[in-house]
Amino acid sequence: MPFDVLARILGPLRRPIISSRYPAEPPRLAPGVRGLPELDPARCTREAACVAVCPTGALALGEDDWSIDAGRCVFCAACAQVCPTGAIRLGSRVELAARSREALIVTTRLEARR
Amino acid sequence: MDELIGSLAPNVRPASERPAGERPARERPAGEGPAGASWPDGLEAYSADADGVRHLPPAALPRVAGALLERGARLVMVVGLDLSGLDGAAGGVGGSGLPAHPLGARSDGSGLAVEVVLGLPGGELARLRAAVPADEPAYPSLTPILPAAQWDEREIHDLFGIEPAGHPDLRPLVLHDVAGLPAHPFRKRRPAGPGAGPGAAPGAEPPLARPFRPFVAHGEGVYQLPVGPIHAGVIEPGHFRFSAVGESVLYLDARLFYTHRGLEQLVEGRSFERALPIVERACGVCTVTHALAYSRAVERLTGTTVPPRARFARVLLAELERLYNHVGDLGNICAGVGFHFGTSQLGWQKERLLRVNEALTGHRYLTGLVAPGGLRADLSDPVLAELGATVDEISHDVRGLVRALRRSEGLMSRLHGTGIVSRELAERLGAVGVAARASGLTWDLRHDRPYEAYPELDLPLVTMTAGDVAARFHVRAQELAASAAIVRDLAGRLPAGPWREPLAKSAPAGASTVVGVEGPRGASWLWLMAGPEGTIERLHLRSASFANWPLVAAAVPGNLVPDFPLINKSFELCYACTDR
Repeated sequence: MPFDVLARILGPLRRPIISSRYPAEPPRLAPGVRGLPELDPARCTREAACVAVCPTGALALGEDDWSIDAGRCVFCAACAQVCPTGAIRLGSRVELAARSREALIVTTRLEARR
Repeated sequence: MDELIGSLAPNVRPASERPAGERPARERPAGEGPAGASWPDGLEAYSADADGVRHLPPAALPRVAGALLERGARLVMVVGLDLSGLDGAAGGVGGSGLPAHPLGARSDGSGLAVEVVLGLPGGELARLRAAVPADEPAYPSLTPILPAAQWDEREIHDLFGIEPAGHPDLRPLVLHDVAGLPAHPFRKRRPAGPGAGPGAAPGAEPPLARPFRPFVAHGEGVYQLPVGPIHAGVIEPGHFRFSAVGESVLYLDARLFYTHRGLEQLVEGRSFERALPIVERACGVCTVTHALAYSRAVERLTGTTVPPRARFARVLLAELERLYNHVGDLGNICAGVGFHFGTSQLGWQKERLLRVNEALTGHRYLTGLVAPGGLRADLSDPVLAELGATVDEISHDVRGLVRALRRSEGLMSRLHGTGIVSRELAERLGAVGVAARASGLTWDLRHDRPYEAYPELDLPLVTMTAGDVAARFHVRAQELAASAAIVRDLAGRLPAGPWREPLAKSAPAGASTVVGVEGPRGASWLWLMAGPEGTIERLHLRSASFANWPLVAAAVPGNLVPDFPLINKSFELCYACTDR
């Protein structure tokens, strides 16, 4: 075995551990990573521009709630870009596994209409 | 050993050393520029319309295409069309919502057409469109004179029910013989409802009646070895049927399109904006390539000019995509011979690149950035400032690794002389990308039809002549160094300013264009036609993998059965963007 192959196999033993202790600690994500869209209910003006723009139909605006279907969302960020009040941001939520189809739908309660 | 490596080194020709006449100007759409210069004599009657399309009768296709092939033209694609939606009678499919296919009857076949797109030497395109008769939809097949068109024509036969008369192999390609599948699902549907007339029920469509039988060899001691479509490992589905004698492969027939999702039909009737996430995700590792080809097609149809920052940023992203793919593909070649040192070390380097992607774009596989008009979001300057140094470091580590791999005789002896594709075969079957350049062809759209910021970059052209797995390995190793250099260069000097331009005007219904982008696996071509009110009438994606799959099947016979995974990985083609 050539020396440089050996060096490359043994070399990392002298370096610090680069893997994280996930899932014992939260996943290390880059700052700009696009997770599941999150809504700030205080800023939502219920214009539903996000619902209209969503290419997969993942968003729904009800009487008093806003919901996103994590089973349909493709994290394209179109909703965040179109929102006139900047109420939507793609957060750091990336652990989206669920035990049932319904559990993939994440609902945010909106503030009561004034 | 090092002397041996020296003699096997790829031919890297810096762009600056190429003769002046060899470098074409910026790419031109079909029909513009000196198209008359290379147009054969005697065919002047077939003049180009505003989109550069030359309309001719089906019977004239082989003659005109043949005349162009004699002048050195190459196949870009053959695309099937149903233009009956443009006369207002058919409603197309889709619309604004999700799977809202109106269950109207298929159109009666009026409006069916085929378009042959050829690339002429010098970079222009020739688009030859022939309307086929409704009662007997057929045209003379081009495969006998242009073998590279074999799959395009089989696909048109499956999806549109247009027969390429004289095609040597009309087994189903895209549609698998599942009971009840209609024979030509890509024909437009007329709106259901009153006046739809008899035959409006979807059940009235003729079912696909042609079973698929793999081609196999027969003879004493010849046995068949079926592999797939489910494989060991998390890879895409494809069925391979080997005819073998002992360990030697006599013949290989592949059956793909298990992941055919009808994406081209799914985007019909959608707006340009809403179709982007679908086109971008035709496959997971060519996202920039597909989004860029699509965005450029939309920009050309709408007359939109992209701001300089976006032009440079798109090249940066495209080269990042090539970089992580090439690094991963080198690792996979090691996996093909069970050389785990290379697989794990290069897998680690690929992971570092994916994290670079994540930090720069918010997505490890670079989706969501390239969009019609420029970029969807700006690249952050602080991240760009660190990008060059990081990519440099990774590229340096990969170079060291490749040096170590090249000194490993156990590895290299498996790569040399395995899966040879001769230059002649590559040319005949229309190879693209690394596979073409490893067989001595100098085909690279970044040189042949430079786009975006490529004309302003000094880009080397890497070729080898051996055409074996080792040649494809070395070409990738050299190309990734060049990609890293471009990334470092552009990250340091991305022009400031706006990064997105609104689309200039709406595209006229029926206008169409063809755009090519050199992805990690080679030239990927996208054909796009606008429908009414800024929607998509028809989109066709001919990915680099689609072009190269027949090459894999041709490279295997004569090799040992256990060398198949290695040969397959040396092409490293996507199934998803072949199948769409």
